[in-house]
Amino acid sequence: MDTIGHGFEEAIRLIFAGDAEIFEIVGLSLYVSIFSVVVSTILGIPLGILLGTCSFRGKGILVRIIYTLMSLPPVIAGLAVFLIFMRRGPLGSLQLNYTVSAMIIAQICLVTPIIIGLTYNMVKEKALVVNQLGMTLGAGRFQRLRLLIYEMRVGITTAVISGFGRAISEVGAVMIVGGNIKGKTRVMTTYISELKGMGNFERAMAVGLILLLISFVVNAMLYHFQERESR
Amino acid sequence: MDVRFTDLKKSYDGRLVLNLPDGGIRSGSRTALIGPNGAGKSTLLRILAGLESSDQGSVQYDGKREMPRQDITLVFQKPYLLSTTVENNIAYPMKLRGVPKAQIAERIDELLEELGLTAFKKQKAWKLSGGETQKVALARALSFHPRLLLLDEPTANIDPHTTAEIERMLLTISEKEAITIVVITHNLAQAKRLCDDVLMLHKGELVEAGESRKVLAQPQNEITRQFVAGELLL
Repeated sequence: MDTIGHGFEEAIRLIFAGDAEIFEIVGLSLYVSIFSVVVSTILGIPLGILLGTCSFRGKGILVRIIYTLMSLPPVIAGLAVFLIFMRRGPLGSLQLNYTVSAMIIAQICLVTPIIIGLTYNMVKEKALVVNQLGMTLGAGRFQRLRLLIYEMRVGITTAVISGFGRAISEVGAVMIVGGNIKGKTRVMTTYISELKGMGNFERAMAVGLILLLISFVVNAMLYHFQERESR
Repeated sequence: MDVRFTDLKKSYDGRLVLNLPDGGIRSGSRTALIGPNGAGKSTLLRILAGLESSDQGSVQYDGKREMPRQDITLVFQKPYLLSTTVENNIAYPMKLRGVPKAQIAERIDELLEELGLTAFKKQKAWKLSGGETQKVALARALSFHPRLLLLDEPTANIDPHTTAEIERMLLTISEKEAITIVVITHNLAQAKRLCDDVLMLHKGELVEAGESRKVLAQPQNEITRQFVAGELLL
């Protein structure tokens, strides 16, 4: 109990003291997560819509693969990215392992299926009725697509936030491909893991609190948006 | 808008659900599509609205095979309102057609007043009752002055007062704008009150067509007679 109490006090002190190292780590965590979520959104939403609106051979298998990838263990994603970019790997010449780029790629692999899967489920539910409504009101193909996206706006936001939640809290993949190198690839989750190993619980708790605070702020924004749209 | 269909056939899973050699809807008329469940009424309406294509045959709108999509609309039995305000729902088809903002605002107020919905202008669509939803869907459909209005059981599960309001609105709009209205209804009294013409469908075939008062009062076809008398066994 004492450790937790001290840890909590220290955490608050560190946050308000403006510890440079911690803020650098927080900044890198946000950068990696936001960047990967942006790329995943750009890829995932159109793919989810395509999957939900098009019929083609092998669609059932593809949907099952995407559902499986939605719960892909991060260490497996990290290992796969690591193997691709290792010196003897197919893209070894790019020398991306232990860089921020590799961390972003690993997170894109984890987040994109989540956004595709959630978007696909929404499209499946809404596409037919929205498309028919659009047709009866004289909307063209592109206008009907816009209408569908508008009607799914709350769900799309939820999918993106879920993706962000996965990215910011993820440790396995970024540890494998980033290596937790101080000042280069160290992010909040890998830092917490290292601090715990070193027995520095106060600092680990401080970083953990910041991580929780970020999650709270992001989810509060989502809640506010959902409330505003359903009021 | 004058609508004619020729040799219209539609099957689902090998089962013929519509087989109409020849028929049509007079321009400016209010026509009721009646018949028991599974008669092909909704299929015909969806083909006329361009939501489905026929397997065979053609539909001509004012003598042309090309469908004037911008002049036709359909209101479903359970309408879907966009997840926004009543006002935005009604504005949507007008925005699609590039109607100026001031005219949109004017038309919204006019329709809301006619349907007794003025108080709901800023209301979110999901907070409306079934009757209000149906009226907003009707206002949205009428907003852009369609020439052919297709209605799939617009007053099913709606209270008599709202039903009367909707019927009154349809009569007014039909007289004012010479719009052609096709309505599926199981309410024969409504067909008589609201419509000039009736098309009686049974098992995908047109068994009788004519003036609603005549067909419903003195049906010439035995199936129609049994249907009107409530004696038709499915």
